[in-house]
Amino acid sequence: MLMPKKVKHRKQHRGRRTGLAKGAYTIDFGDYGIKALEAGWITARQIEAARIAMTRHVRRGGKVWIRVFPDKPVTQKPAETRMGSGKGNPEHWVAVVRPGKIMFEIAGVDEQLAREAMERAIQKLPIKAEVVIRPGVLAEAGGAAK
Amino acid sequence: MDEISLVAEPRNDKGSPATRRLRVTGRVPGVLYGHGVKPIPVSVDERALHGALSTGAGANALIDLTVGKTHHLALARELQRHPVRQTVAHVDFIVVRRDEIVAAEVPVTLLGEAVAVSRAGGTVEQLLLSVDVHAKPADIPRSFEVDISDLDIGDSIRLSSVVIPPGVTLDLDPESPVVVGHAARVEVVEEPVEEEGAPAPAEPGAEAPTDEAAGS
Repeated sequence: MLMPKKVKHRKQHRGRRTGLAKGAYTIDFGDYGIKALEAGWITARQIEAARIAMTRHVRRGGKVWIRVFPDKPVTQKPAETRMGSGKGNPEHWVAVVRPGKIMFEIAGVDEQLAREAMERAIQKLPIKAEVVIRPGVLAEAGGAAK
Repeated sequence: MDEISLVAEPRNDKGSPATRRLRVTGRVPGVLYGHGVKPIPVSVDERALHGALSTGAGANALIDLTVGKTHHLALARELQRHPVRQTVAHVDFIVVRRDEIVAAEVPVTLLGEAVAVSRAGGTVEQLLLSVDVHAKPADIPRSFEVDISDLDIGDSIRLSSVVIPPGVTLDLDPESPVVVGHAARVEVVEEPVEEEGAPAPAEPGAEAPTDEAAGS
């Protein structure tokens, strides 16, 4: 699973989830992408589950780009522990995603297969998301616009 | 290249709240500048701008912009889009001259189907989606077309083999690959191996990061 090799501080504040994506809101590598429509925390497990869902559906060929990285540690206190005694232990890693962020991209497969694979990947994510197409792709394929 | 007529209105109210109100009425805020023209805040109709930028020339369409009683030959640049809706939030119009060389970004489109690659189960990867060029506004090509019919696995088509129209110069190295044919990649499903007495996976906090303060 994805996680940082080393970090400066083991524990972070939760932060705020307001606003929209500041960057990475266009498809820059592949032909199709998954765009976040809500803000949320995507765990490393969910990113890996989405990647596996996509690559197993595509089977052969295709290339997948993961454009989010879980660099935020999330802490949890052990069960049945009294409050106090400081912040809990880091349990997992999440990527902070805001609306508009392109989380995954795929290339090298036809539109139908890409859509099916990405719909499966979206099922593994805790937020609403949609499949988007790079503007030039439809012109190349001569297909109808979404 | 044909010019597209677009009517812009100067806007007096500046700042975020005013532009937000403007967008609600179906207009796109923008600014016109270049060639000694004092920057003029303008606004254009959203549908008209969409129509102007949806021609074959794409974002490099030559626009005859009318502001009040003056006409300017301009190119739309720096299109800022809404991250979710992808609507144009702001546009820069740069005043150009017909005889002046300008910089532009031209998309690369692939033609045909790489039969040899698809037969072998490989993939075609397009490394260059667009190319930065220098040309006179009327000479800017709509797109660079690359025929991938003869592409095989392990082959690449380089920028030097793309037909460049006269009057157009490129920024990039001619040896830059545009398209590459890759061999098939197969997802290997790993079988879970159960080992008795194997140590439980370490907690995320313990496996990676070490606080610098703790180390010191």
